[in-house]
Formats: sequence, C-alpha cells, structure tokens
Amino acid sequence: MAHDSGLVKRRNKKNMTSLSASLKRVILGIILIVLVSFLIAMYSVTDKERLAYTKRNADSILRTLSSRIASDIDNYKQLSRIIMTDDRLVTFLRANGDDVDIGMINDARYGVMDILYVTEGIDSVMVFREDMIMMATNRFFYKYDYDLMNQGTWKDDILEGKGKAVVSLNCNGIASRNDRKPVVTIGREINDIFSQKRTGVMLMNISSDTFVSMLHQLEYDKNICIMGTDGTYFAGNSDILAYYDDSFLSERVVNKTLSTDSGNVLVSGCKIEGLPIVILNIAPYAPEGIPYTLLYILLFLMLLFLLSATFIGAFISRRVTKPVLDLSDAVDRNEQSGKLIPIDTDMRYDELDMLKNSYNKMIESVNGLIRTVIDKEKTVQRMEMRVLQEQIKPHFLYNSLETIGYLALEAGADKVHDSLETLGSFYRNFLSKGSREITLLREIQIVRDYLALQKLRYGDIIDDIYDIAEDTEEYIIPKLILQPLVENCIYHGIRIKGEKGTISITSRLIDDVLHLAVRDTGVGMSKEQIDKILMQKRDDTKYTDKKSFGLWDTIERIRIFCGRDDVVKIESEPGEYTEIELIIYPERLYGGNEQTIQSDVNR
Amino acid sequence: MNRRYRVMLIDDEESARKLMKAGIAWEDLGMEVVGEASSGVEAINVIDDIRPDIAFVDISMPFMDGIEFTQMATERYPRLVIIIMTAFDDFEYARKCVSLPVFEYMLKPMVRSEVVKVLNKVKGRLDAEHMSDEETEDEQEPVMSGETNATEQIKRYLEDNYTDPKLNLTFVAQYFGFSASYLSRKFKQDTGKKFVEYLTELRMNKAMQLAESNVKMFIAASEVGIPDPNYFGRCFKKYTGKSYSDLSQHVHKG
Repeated sequence: MAHDSGLVKRRNKKNMTSLSASLKRVILGIILIVLVSFLIAMYSVTDKERLAYTKRNADSILRTLSSRIASDIDNYKQLSRIIMTDDRLVTFLRANGDDVDIGMINDARYGVMDILYVTEGIDSVMVFREDMIMMATNRFFYKYDYDLMNQGTWKDDILEGKGKAVVSLNCNGIASRNDRKPVVTIGREINDIFSQKRTGVMLMNISSDTFVSMLHQLEYDKNICIMGTDGTYFAGNSDILAYYDDSFLSERVVNKTLSTDSGNVLVSGCKIEGLPIVILNIAPYAPEGIPYTLLYILLFLMLLFLLSATFIGAFISRRVTKPVLDLSDAVDRNEQSGKLIPIDTDMRYDELDMLKNSYNKMIESVNGLIRTVIDKEKTVQRMEMRVLQEQIKPHFLYNSLETIGYLALEAGADKVHDSLETLGSFYRNFLSKGSREITLLREIQIVRDYLALQKLRYGDIIDDIYDIAEDTEEYIIPKLILQPLVENCIYHGIRIKGEKGTISITSRLIDDVLHLAVRDTGVGMSKEQIDKILMQKRDDTKYTDKKSFGLWDTIERIRIFCGRDDVVKIESEPGEYTEIELIIYPERLYGGNEQTIQSDVNR
Repeated sequence: MNRRYRVMLIDDEESARKLMKAGIAWEDLGMEVVGEASSGVEAINVIDDIRPDIAFVDISMPFMDGIEFTQMATERYPRLVIIIMTAFDDFEYARKCVSLPVFEYMLKPMVRSEVVKVLNKVKGRLDAEHMSDEETEDEQEPVMSGETNATEQIKRYLEDNYTDPKLNLTFVAQYFGFSASYLSRKFKQDTGKKFVEYLTELRMNKAMQLAESNVKMFIAASEVGIPDPNYFGRCFKKYTGKSYSDLSQHVHKG
C-alpha cells in the first residue's frame, strides 16, 4: 500500500520536473550543441584550410609556370632580334623589289634556319617586306589568308610596338597551321640598321608543342591547361578548357570553386603578364590541406568537454540530487514512522546541511511544542490528581473517624465505635497507600471489613467463610480483585434470591500458582451468561451488560497482571451456586512495568 | 517484679489519644497510660517525669514531628519502645524513619485488634528485658558524693542553654555523665527544686519579660525553648496563674 501511495505521489508530481531529469536534459542538450558546433567548426576549418592549401598550391604552380613561359617567350624575343640581324635576311629586306628572286628568298630562309637550328620550339618564322614579298620557313605547313594579308591591318599592333616584340596568337590571323595546331606569334617591326627605316615585319611562331614539353618537363600536364586568351588550346589537360571564361583574363590569379562529380575542385587561372596566354590549374581539395594538429586539438577539447559535462552531471547527481533525495527519503521515513526524530543523514555541503538543520530545528520546535502540551497536560492531570487526593484526604477521614469513634465510646455506643473502626480499617486497606498490588491477607481483610459493613446494612443475610491456606497469605495479587467478586455475589447472587446465603472464599497454592475461589449460594448463572463474560474481548468497548462489568474488569486486570488469558474459571448451577475461580500466576515482567508507570502517574 | 508497663501517647489529635486510652483494655495487658503529649516539644519536657516504657508516636505533628522526636528519644532512652503511627499521606515521613530503631509502624486509623497484637509483642520483649535487668540491678547506681560543684555547673549550663527546645533532664544528665535518676535526686537535694521546675522557672521568667515587652506569644514560645505555643501557653498559665495574652495585654494597658 505504501508503495502504491508513493507511486500516486510521484504521479501527482507529474507536471513538476525533477531536478535530476532536467539536469540530465540540459547536460545532454549542451553536449549535443557542442557536438554539432564542433562538427561544423571542424568541417568549415577543414574546408577552408584545404581551400587555402589548394589555392596556395595552385598559385605557386601558376606562378612557376607563368614565369617559365614568360622567360621562354623572352628567350624567343631575344632570338627574334638575332634573326633580324642575319646578313642574308637583311639583304633580302634591303633589296629592291625587282631584285628579289627566289634565290634571295631561299638565302634569307637558310640564314634564318641556321639560327633556328640552335633552338627548339620555333615552328616557323615569317618575314614580310614592305611590298609584302614574304619569306617563310616551314612555309608549306601553313595555310595563308592572302586577302587579310593584303589588307595590312593585321600588322597594326606590331607596328604600334615600334620595334619591340609583340606577342600575339596564330600569326594575327594571316596564317594557320595545316594541322590547325595553334601557335604563339612574336611579331616585330624590322628597321634598317643604318637608315632606321622600316624594312619589314617578322612573325616568329612558337609551336604549342613547346608548352606540351614544358608541362611534361614540369610534370604539370595533368591538372594544367595552357591556352590562348581567345580560348585556343595549347597544352595540358584539354578538359579544363571547359572551365575557362573571361574572368581568368587577369594577371592576378583567379580562383573558382566548382563542384564536379568527384567532389569540389578549385579552378585557378591567370593571364601571363604581357602575353596572350592563360594558364588554368584544376585541383581537387587536397587531403594534404587538412589541418590535423588543429583537428586533434579540437577533438581533445571536445573530449575534455564531454568528460567535464559528464562529470558535472555525475557531480550534481551525486552531490546535489542524491543528498536532496536522501534528505527527502529521511523526511519520508520520519513521516512513515510517525516519530519526530531529527535526521542524522550526513550532508556533505553546507547548503544541504542547512536544509537538514532547519528541518531538524523544525522537528525540535515541534517536539518542544508537543512536550509543552504534554507537560501542560501532565500538570493538569497532576493538579486533578491532587484535587482528588485532597477530596479523599485519608488523614482527615481517619481523624474524623477516630473522633466520632471516641464520642461513640464515651456515649456507650460500642457498636458504633466498632463499625467506625471497621470502616476505618476498610478504607485503610482499600486505599493501601495507593499501591496497585497487595498481599492476599490484606485483600481478605478488605473483604472481611466490606462484608462486616454490608452485614450492618442488610442484616444477617450473609455468612462468610474463609479458608485461607497459610502459604498463600503473603501472595501478591492485584488490589481489589476479591472485593468486586464478593460485591457481585451479594448484588447479583444472594440478594436476588431473597434467602440467607453463604459466601465462601478459599485460597490454595498449587505449583506456585494461586487459586482463589469465591463461591456464593445465590441464584447462579446460565451457561450463556458465563460464556458472555469469558468471551468478551479486550477491545470490545460496548459494555452492554453493566452488571457484569465489574467482574469483566477484574478478570481483565488479572489477565494484564499475569500476562496470560486463562485466569478465570466459572462454574455455576442456576438456583444453586456460582463459583468463580481466579488463577493468579506470579506477576509477569511487563505487568510490573505497567505498574511502575501507573505508580509514577499516581505520584 | 510485676509492675505495669508505662505507656505514653504522643499525638496532636486529642481524640485519637483519648480513643487509644479508652479503646484498649490496658489493664488486661498489664499496662497503663501514664501520660500524653500533643507535640514532640511537650513530650521532651514531660518524658522525664512520665518515664514511659512504651511510646506511641504520631509521625505528623507540628513544631517537632515524630521523626525528630524519635531520633532524639532513641538516643536518650535506648530502652524506650517506640511505635510509630502513620496515615497514608505520611508516606514521605515513613520513608525517612525507616532507618530509625522503631519497634513497629502502624497504619492509621488504628484498629484495636492490631494494636493489641502489637502490644502483646512489646510486652513479651519488655518482660524478657526486665528479667535480665533484675539480675544486674544492683550495679546500676554509682555513688557520687561531694558533687555540689556539679550542681552549680548544671545550673549555669541551664541558664546558658534553656532556649534549646531539646533540653531535658536525661539530656543534661548524659551531658554531665550522671544517670537521670541520680541527677534528679541530687538536683532536688542541692537546690530544693526539681530539675524540671528549675528549667521551667528559667524559661517562664524569661517569658514574663517577653510578655512585658509585648512580644507575640508564638515568638516568645520559641525564644524560651518551647516552640509549641499551645504547650507553652499551658506552662505559662500553670507557672504564672495567668495566660500569656492576659499578661501581655495587662502590661500594655498599664
């Protein structure tokens, strides 16, 4: 039942949150938030670091490559100057238009080719005189657009260079290779050394193979693409071409993150300074970029945090919640036990100790109040007792009896004196200094006096016979167990019968147990009446039969005194006699306890 | 020797004393009631004259209760048989005197049959004691002559100590190393007055002075060593022929 009520109690508290549960929730929430933010942080840091790493990587590749290309182009520019000064070419250029023949052209070609032998990568050199007579190496690999050539606008940018090398693409459109391979063209205005007059224009075409071999040499060929500003492919990974757009036409490196099937890639690119060439680099986010140290530190911090959160949870649960529960349990136990005792559960913390102490203080003050009430009650009882004692004040009674007794004696009323003496004796034994137990002899004396006085009242209707064994005289019995029985004999036995009756009292000691019998020759009792008296229960508070109350009460007192129930036997024959036998065992210990308590109260 | 045992009743209740006296067939027991006292104070003063063998002492009496009296009496009269009478509410008293050499405690109200029973026991003991006494009786009285100086000393002692309510012949005799009967005889011889008369005279002369200076009787009573004002009043009247209040008022008027 107690369990059930506990559950009910818990259930009643349903809409309340327990401290421990909400704590758990808060701690779990914090852990979750921290975990998520840790992952986000880790992801973003990793991502950023990888991007930065990849960018740095790409940047360095692009710089290396572009400076390589730039320096190569510079070399070719130098070479173009050397070619310009070749005797046979100069001759070709200086000659009058009519003088030029195929031989002269071939001479010039050989002259140029002699120089070209020394270097690699130059696909062809084209020289145009002012009258557009042309000399070209590798002439037959090219297809020429003569219309454009004759328009003359193609060489505007070269002329603007005023003798400096100008780099462009694909011969400014006037020629293209038969196999459609793109070329980088270094164009130059040729001026006569002496006259400083322009004698022609030279176009030096550098093959895209130069770039292919360069990439190969640098082992960049996988992720790099070299291309012209117009989008023509030169070398490297042609797939990258797809990512090209105008935004890469910048001499500073431009980075773009693009997502592909194989994850994010970074496309970086730049235009090489002063050249119509764009380099693109593609790089997946490099795993090398993951900042493991940082991640480990973060992970460590994370673990640390988890540990401390768990610890805090455990700490709060063990040091706060559990003691609070302990305290509450102790209070509950107190409540269930019905005793208001201070709690001695050990509290480790001042705050909880304060809580405990204030509970204990409350208990104390409640106990104090109860004590006060009890004390007050006791005082009241003591006062009442004193008033009662005052009322019976035996000293006064005895003195009065003596005085009246003397008066009677003086007046010659000896019988009055005798009666007064009996009355005095009766009261003396009846009160017996307030003790609860007396000797059998004294009890017998009470009965004798009582009967003597009753005989005075009712005349000689009673005979009393005493058969008291000597060894029973000092036997200690509860006071006033015989007198009520004898009273019963008179009022419910003999007087009803209307005849003279005899009351005989017998005592015997059998196996150290006192057997007391009171027999009267009265009306007797029926079996039902006897059973009713004997079966009446201790807690039966309805004394319906007032007549038997005195008897029942006596039996009950003997039962308490002896500590057992089989203390009485009743035998009767209706119309003949009733014999009540009391079997009084020596006093039991707890009977004695009760007696001391009682006598304490009496005092 | 077949003399009657002398019984003294000490009880502040007059009717109780009278009832005892009248209710018991003393002669049949070979006893007679030779004196009464209404308080311990009175008993001390008269006990040397009464010379009882048996004393019934009520435990609760004013001015000097039964216990105090019994303590004193057992010291001075080791042969005296003391029977304490006590009522239910004297229980506290009774507890105190458990250690006293008392012959019997009897519960009030007294029942004659019980009293007779106890007295028969007492008689048996006293008879036995007297039997042995008679054999050694001659040794009892040491002859003391030429002790006139002692009487002077005693007189001085009485003058100095008469305010002590416990003072009596036996006490003084024991104090000076005489037997009471010897001292009594010798005192009478030397002074022409009985010891008690002399002591009473001392006290009453002082009391008269006090009466003249209008001191209240109960104060005068305790100042002269008779702290029981009833007994004091009787002594005063007997000695002066007038009551204390008369004298006191007379002086006042005069």
